Amino acid sequence: MSAGQGKKVIVSMIGLDGHTTGGEIVARILRDAGIEVVYLGCNQTPEMIVRAAIQEDVDLIGISSHASNYGQIVSLVELLKRNGAEDVPVVCGGNVPKHQARLLIEKGVAAVFPPGSGADSIIRFVLGNARGATAGLCVNGEGIA
Amino acid sequence: MMKRATDYGYAIKPVYTPEDIAELDYRRDLGEPGAFPYTRGYHPEGYRSRMWTQRMTAGLGTSRDANLVLKKYREMGQRGGMCVISDRVFSSCIDVDHPLGRREAGVLGWPGCSLLEFEELMEDIPLTGQSITLLGSCAPTTLRLAYVVALAEKRGDDLSKIHGSVLESPFENYFGQTDVQPFDLNLKLFLDASEYVIRNRIRMRAAIISQHFQESGGNNAQALALEMAMLKELCTLLVTERGLDFDDVATLPYELVSIGTRFFEEIAKVRALRRMWARLAREHFKAKKEKSCHLLIAAHTSGRTMTYQQPLNNIVRCAIQTLAGAIVGATAIDNATLDNAHAEPSPLAARMSLNTQHIVAYETGAADVVDPLAGSYFVEALTDEVEREAYAILARIEEMGGMIAALDRGVVQDMLREEAAKRFREIDTGERLVVGVNHLVMPPEEEFEIPVQELPPGDSEGIARRMEEWKKTRDLPLVAARLSRLHTDAGKGDRFNLMPAIIDAVKAYATAGEIFGVIRMARGLSYDPFNMIECPFALQ
Repeated sequence: MSAGQGKKVIVSMIGLDGHTTGGEIVARILRDAGIEVVYLGCNQTPEMIVRAAIQEDVDLIGISSHASNYGQIVSLVELLKRNGAEDVPVVCGGNVPKHQARLLIEKGVAAVFPPGSGADSIIRFVLGNARGATAGLCVNGEGIA
Repeated sequence: MMKRATDYGYAIKPVYTPEDIAELDYRRDLGEPGAFPYTRGYHPEGYRSRMWTQRMTAGLGTSRDANLVLKKYREMGQRGGMCVISDRVFSSCIDVDHPLGRREAGVLGWPGCSLLEFEELMEDIPLTGQSITLLGSCAPTTLRLAYVVALAEKRGDDLSKIHGSVLESPFENYFGQTDVQPFDLNLKLFLDASEYVIRNRIRMRAAIISQHFQESGGNNAQALALEMAMLKELCTLLVTERGLDFDDVATLPYELVSIGTRFFEEIAKVRALRRMWARLAREHFKAKKEKSCHLLIAAHTSGRTMTYQQPLNNIVRCAIQTLAGAIVGATAIDNATLDNAHAEPSPLAARMSLNTQHIVAYETGAADVVDPLAGSYFVEALTDEVEREAYAILARIEEMGGMIAALDRGVVQDMLREEAAKRFREIDTGERLVVGVNHLVMPPEEEFEIPVQELPPGDSEGIARRMEEWKKTRDLPLVAARLSRLHTDAGKGDRFNLMPAIIDAVKAYATAGEIFGVIRMARGLSYDPFNMIECPFALQ
């Protein structure tokens, strides 16, 4: 098995958020770690992301957030559940205020990575928590928020 | 090991001496303030003749919410100009009652999707006597201009007395703030609005700016090179395609520079920018007027450098950057805020940022002397160096055929991606230290909790419902007629200026989504960029 352990993830913006830098950097970090990345880019609705997740059979969804539109991230989690894909964790990264990060975790987001998060912590979390992750690699769910 | 190099990767020496500027010729390379090549600035008296405009960006929630914030900023001493950023809905030129728009109306800015919103935004606020700056993205350029023209007419204001900036170049959409409208449409409408303000002598500027590029991860030399490439391409198009005189075109652009924490490098960049523009204007565009060699430069202290961790530290970063902005002689400064990495500015954070400017302006003495770092071995060497590096990047872009050609080939996007990744790596590996992030990190539980301003959930839906109801109360036959005319005009080719038809449609309260929808249809595109709604009007 490769360093990426055969894992496949989505990296996407959500809603009308057009800030792409963070998502592109995370996509690159994950690819460099051997993880297969499906980069969806901008203007993705929760519905589109869920459809892509099912079609591409991904193991985790990473949402880059710079638009304070957290409701859509919650919708994404709910929509995954409704489609029987609740075993695909949703991870969020970006400038999310702390109380929002806590709310997102309560609503089922697996982790929130604030600006300044290191590459290692992101990779470790993804490998430890993606669908079908090897037991023992799990990291606490709140990332370093 | 901490890296001692400029942000564009040139090694920095421990000390600089006269040898580092042996080639410098004062008259040729610097000149007095107010003299070519304007490295030292455009005004012999600097801030003694005019203090910079001290402003803060506003925009969150409803238009009435933003109006209250603008009034509050005026109380806090913001008098020279106002600055409002649009939300992602208006930036995309769909409506707040669009299925996607209603999810985030007013979330990240002002939901300015109709003239009604602009009227509410500006209630009890004069259009004259201060600069009116509306930012966000390129697509709403024609609409923002139409709002100003329409409201001025309604209020009986003399349009020639209104100044500011409501136009924004189409290139920004490539720099980490992607938009939904196609580039060729954005470019066409940008040229229409530009031609309209130039021919009608409206004192509205166009943001042709490197700020987004640098804020998305680009370095100083790249930002400088791209600024020149964008200016050159757009000015050329206005001269050759729209038949305008360069000396008139030169009144249009303004540059918003991003000022980060690399104090001396930021100062060098702006000094080099003035010199490069002056030479481009005189040597390439054969400017006849001296004024055409002046580029209006505003500064934005860098939001990207504002950290999530230990947000109070951002007050210090902001102060250092504001001082740099003052030293370079920026015409206006708007500041990032201590809570920039968390949310839109809270009243406390906004006050801190404005006060930072007031302190730099009135307490430090930095505003008393023009270009105080001129002659510094270090700063002059840095100015030459960033200019040299920028010219090298610019030459590569020109070889490809200019900015648009370079974007078509994805070269500029790749340059930005590489640089942003490099910056991330430098911080991740500790080559560059950021206090509180990768150096002197504090346990999260000891962090000071700052107030965070947010839009209450449900407000977006409220903004959407208001528009839905209000749309029905308009003079619908008039809206349909104006949109039909716009649709017809939009079929007359790229050189046919749509501004008059857009202004008429805006005056009839046609909305952003409707106006863009019919223009898109005339160009063979779907009414809705997301293909979720159909055109509600029967076009004649």
